[in-house]
Amino acid sequence: MIIPVRCFTCGRVIGHLYEEYARRTEAGESAEKVLDDLKLERYCCRRMLITHVELIDEVMPFT
Amino acid sequence: MKLVVREITDTRCSFIVDGVKPDIVNALRRTLIADVPKMAIDEVEFHMGPIRDEEGNEYDSNSALFDEMIAHRLGMVPIPTDLQHFTFREQCECNGAGCPHCTIIYVMNKKGPCTVYSGDLQPLGDISLNIKEELIPIVKLKEKQALLIYATAILGRGKDHAKWQSVTICGYKNFPKITIKNDDCCFDPEDCVRSCPRKVFEVEKGKVIIKNLENCDLCMNCLDHCESSDGRGEPFIEVDEVTDKFIFTFETDGSITAKDALIYALKNLEDKYEELREQVSGLD
Repeated sequence: MIIPVRCFTCGRVIGHLYEEYARRTEAGESAEKVLDDLKLERYCCRRMLITHVELIDEVMPFT
Repeated sequence: MKLVVREITDTRCSFIVDGVKPDIVNALRRTLIADVPKMAIDEVEFHMGPIRDEEGNEYDSNSALFDEMIAHRLGMVPIPTDLQHFTFREQCECNGAGCPHCTIIYVMNKKGPCTVYSGDLQPLGDISLNIKEELIPIVKLKEKQALLIYATAILGRGKDHAKWQSVTICGYKNFPKITIKNDDCCFDPEDCVRSCPRKVFEVEKGKVIIKNLENCDLCMNCLDHCESSDGRGEPFIEVDEVTDKFIFTFETDGSITAKDALIYALKNLEDKYEELREQVSGLD
């Protein structure tokens, strides 16, 4: 639905990184490089951004 | 006991303790996770019904997420906490009524279309209580939707709820001890270096040397490779752990600094043992 505030596994705050991640990967940068720049070193935090599907924009018209 | 700090930043701390048993280090780990307090939003009051702005436009107090989900997301937002200033509500001089020493009230007033961010939480009173991570999306609003919220943050401990857990990652490992037994052992030094996933070894003048000892995870991968290249079944590398030396690492979520968390945890442990000692001495 919307990016979780924290990493499910370790609890690191990751919500504020999503918009930059989405913008830069959209522009064609590799996800690996963006995640490294965002200083996400554990794979639990990295998968939070990689696997996220932003569905809230699809749901919003029906609220 | 000897302590060497490897790295300390606002949110991250790593140190080596020498000459202690694992129980002491584990007590510190558990205290850091469960007992270091922080402020977190505990109660959220949503304005129900239509919301009007100054120009008389009417908005619906509705959004794509359930109110419960918004409240939960607000609870996870880290709130800057000064442990000198705040006390637990039960122990506060206001007797749990809620005063500036035990409670922070945040107001959030947003009208769509927009994305609501954690930075939109405005503290009543002190500006130093502004949220540091301003860009955490909380919810999105479309036209004619608005959000008016009063959120109350109180002090709590990690053992009560994960939102009050100020130290997120916290753990220790035994200090590794690697010896390369015979200098002439290597038939294929490059293979030995490649076999280590933590890049502990390096080749220098055709020989394997230990470059980053503290990286070692004791995975023993190098032993397998050493044996296979030797062919006689006796590995030339010996990997062992030092039983009374630990590498301790922890991270905070940003609401308090790593240094403050460590100092608080040590003080907390001390107080607990002091209490125990008093009770035991009262037995006679």
